Amino acid sequence: MDALIQRLRAVVGEAGCLASDEERFVYECDGLTLEATRPRAVVLPESTDQVRAIVRVCREAGVPFVPRGAGTGLSGGARPVPGCVLIECSRMDRILEVNVADRIAVVQPGLVNAQLSEAVRPHGLFYAPDPSSQQACTIGGNVAENSGGPHTLKYGTTTNHVLAVELVLPDGEVARYGSATGLAEGFDLVGAVVGSEGTLGIVTEVTVRLVPIPEGIATLLAIFPDVVSACRAVGEMIGGGLVPAALEIVDQRTIRAVEDSVYAAGLPRDAGAILIAELDGAACELPPQVARVREASERCGASRVQVAADERERLEFWRARKGAFGAMGRLAPDLYVHDAVVPRAKLPEILEAVCAIGDRYGLKLSNVFHAGDGNLHPNISFDRRDPGELERVLAAGREILETCVRAGGVITGEHGVGVEKRDYMKLVFDDDDLLPMIHLREAFDPDRSCNPGKVIPTTRFCTEADPKARGYDAVPLG
Amino acid sequence: MSVSGAGSTLRSVLERELGTGALAGGEAGPIEIEPAEPDALAAALRVMGEAGGRARVRGRGTWDGLGNLAPDVDVVLSTRGLYGVTELDTQDGVALVRAGTTLDDLVRTVAPHGWEVPLGAPPEGSVGGALAVAAIGPRRLGQGPPRDCVLGLEVALATGERTRCGGRVVKNVTGFDLAKLYTGSFGCLGVIESAWLRLRPRPESVAGCVAPLRGGADDLALAIEAARRPTARCAALVDPERARAIGLETESAVLLVELAGSGPGVQGDLAWLSSRASASTVDPEAIDALGRSLVEPPPPGGARARLAMLPSSCVRAVRALRESGARLVVHAGLGIVHADWDAAAEAVDAAARIAIAVGAEARFEHLPDEHKRGRDVFGVGADRRAVVARMRALKRRFDPAGVLNPGRFLGHV
Repeated sequence: MDALIQRLRAVVGEAGCLASDEERFVYECDGLTLEATRPRAVVLPESTDQVRAIVRVCREAGVPFVPRGAGTGLSGGARPVPGCVLIECSRMDRILEVNVADRIAVVQPGLVNAQLSEAVRPHGLFYAPDPSSQQACTIGGNVAENSGGPHTLKYGTTTNHVLAVELVLPDGEVARYGSATGLAEGFDLVGAVVGSEGTLGIVTEVTVRLVPIPEGIATLLAIFPDVVSACRAVGEMIGGGLVPAALEIVDQRTIRAVEDSVYAAGLPRDAGAILIAELDGAACELPPQVARVREASERCGASRVQVAADERERLEFWRARKGAFGAMGRLAPDLYVHDAVVPRAKLPEILEAVCAIGDRYGLKLSNVFHAGDGNLHPNISFDRRDPGELERVLAAGREILETCVRAGGVITGEHGVGVEKRDYMKLVFDDDDLLPMIHLREAFDPDRSCNPGKVIPTTRFCTEADPKARGYDAVPLG
Repeated sequence: MSVSGAGSTLRSVLERELGTGALAGGEAGPIEIEPAEPDALAAALRVMGEAGGRARVRGRGTWDGLGNLAPDVDVVLSTRGLYGVTELDTQDGVALVRAGTTLDDLVRTVAPHGWEVPLGAPPEGSVGGALAVAAIGPRRLGQGPPRDCVLGLEVALATGERTRCGGRVVKNVTGFDLAKLYTGSFGCLGVIESAWLRLRPRPESVAGCVAPLRGGADDLALAIEAARRPTARCAALVDPERARAIGLETESAVLLVELAGSGPGVQGDLAWLSSRASASTVDPEAIDALGRSLVEPPPPGGARARLAMLPSSCVRAVRALRESGARLVVHAGLGIVHADWDAAAEAVDAAARIAIAVGAEARFEHLPDEHKRGRDVFGVGADRRAVVARMRALKRRFDPAGVLNPGRFLGHV
């Protein structure tokens, strides 16, 4: 047997190390399925000590290692690199502490996001970052990607809720950064680790902030003749000083897909777009805010604005939004979910440009997005078996990103760079801008053994940066 | 090249690069440079790196007293000349601000458009300085930490490259989050030229109120409850001496609260406070005065420490701090305590002992130089070896020649 596998099994046991073809096949990609690479082995540690031992085995063997949560990431951040050991953290899924008085929780990285909110709900608290995949994605994965979600608009992304982390560094040492107090002395190393896509170490424990469940919630559904009108309404709300918890837009193509699916929410199929606006806070604050949302929507052409009468109706409104990606399966066998951000005020013109790009390439492009953040998700439904279609999808995707960057935006708002957008980084940053990112990476992992080939594109510094130069074979780097 | 004896060489190189008129001082102390453009700032850094010069980076001097005793520097590099609000998007509520701009000017620029700046630094201080030290003020409860309002930064590296990170949009994971790393790094990794800041809508209603306290553990419980009201953006327990110093007439400690939000929300929380304590309204200017008083140095010979702990530890910490003779401002909802002692010798012992006992992160915000000697003012109490090790690794890569603010931050980085 492979000596490396033997050593890994000595750490995690037979059942904790997957090495057969069939077992490894499951892990050859994450939520970005356009390309796949089978790892040399998959290990399932149950403790920080085991992660540390695995990292040390990998280092001694000169093998790169890649951390993975639930594999729901959409940018290939957890995609294996050739010859790597994939460290799957799903068995480290415990809530270690809930401190209700101080509103914090300490969790392991494999805990599923939604389970944390579920666990603390009896205490009147919740964990705010709520990615669309929150029923499956893990806190560790959220930390790696700095995940957001529909309620980012008011509550911020993962980085605003992580107070401290324990991580196994790429040299096998264990370090703790940050403080449960939220005010740690020294450089903000937690801020650097969150969103680093598993390239600075393997997070093994996370201390998070919990927030109180708001006293009141008001959810509105507004029906618009087109996406551009809905975007204008969002601009009016934000520009007018409203800070809703969420402002989400779903376009017509998505509405129809949803209404044809098991997620059907009774939306009018001829609606050009719907806007879901959610407000929360003290009960006495909500009625005037509801009125402002209604007024802005009607001024911008909404034909109907409905306030959810109860929790059942509220969930019904959200069904259309949350079921959108599932419903896309009706349109085509493959789905490419894009992610870009533009200044909010430019949403109307960018949406028009994005749709025009989709039309020009003859693609089924639909939009479901976090309008309040200017965070677009153009979704392209396609069939990779059709000759040339994947190439058109990728070309259209690049044009969409270029359009967003020209408008002052960026290439990803919540999915991360991973491998998907690594080579698009230069649309936003030049070599000088990338230099401190390389410094940061190398201050943690000078050998680039931890999740190599992600985030940072090939640069003039690539001789040092390229893990191939350090003996890792065939790692795709630019 | 050593610092002493290198002055004239460094000066001539800097003059050649920047022009004779760009330099001041230098005869008895460090050379002073105040670039008006970022290119000149970057050029100065590059020259210093090549010539072995060391620089202290300075905004408007607000935080001069903060930090460890550091080696003498060749150059004081001021960002005062980088001034102005370069861009203001009134619809999105974001602004690009040059580092030397005063907070007051920024606030005055954005306020007419319905926005405010969630930074807790003194109005006369620079935005760059506030970000470099991650300044927090009395409204941190409502404003959040400074890192939360930084969307992107333009930074001159110690090696002279001008770089950007983040961006102008409110949600962004394009590459590593360097803006978080730079914010609060004391200018050790680079010099902030400009910042994209996320503004906040000005609240519809703001109210200040003050309630006398009885003195006991219930005071802190009340302060925590007040801090958790939806519209609370400041809820500070203030000892009587400081309360009087900021213009409040009281014989006892007080709970000083500021509420901000919608009209009904503020009124609701005011009613709650009135029912729980004998609260009376006060001009919110009292909150500004509290903030100023926490930046001004204590009387000569005195010291001030900041301890950050879990709110549930505040009772124990406050009792111990008072027993040590400290006067306190306690943001109980945040677990932040500012403690002033008349005698620094008492402070250095008490702060470390109490920080360890309650698991607090602690620093000295003001400490006489003779007490700073041989001490790390950011390393009070807890063991920070893992953090310092990584800070040093970062410093070596970002600033290999050790140009920027040598020795001043945690671990004498």
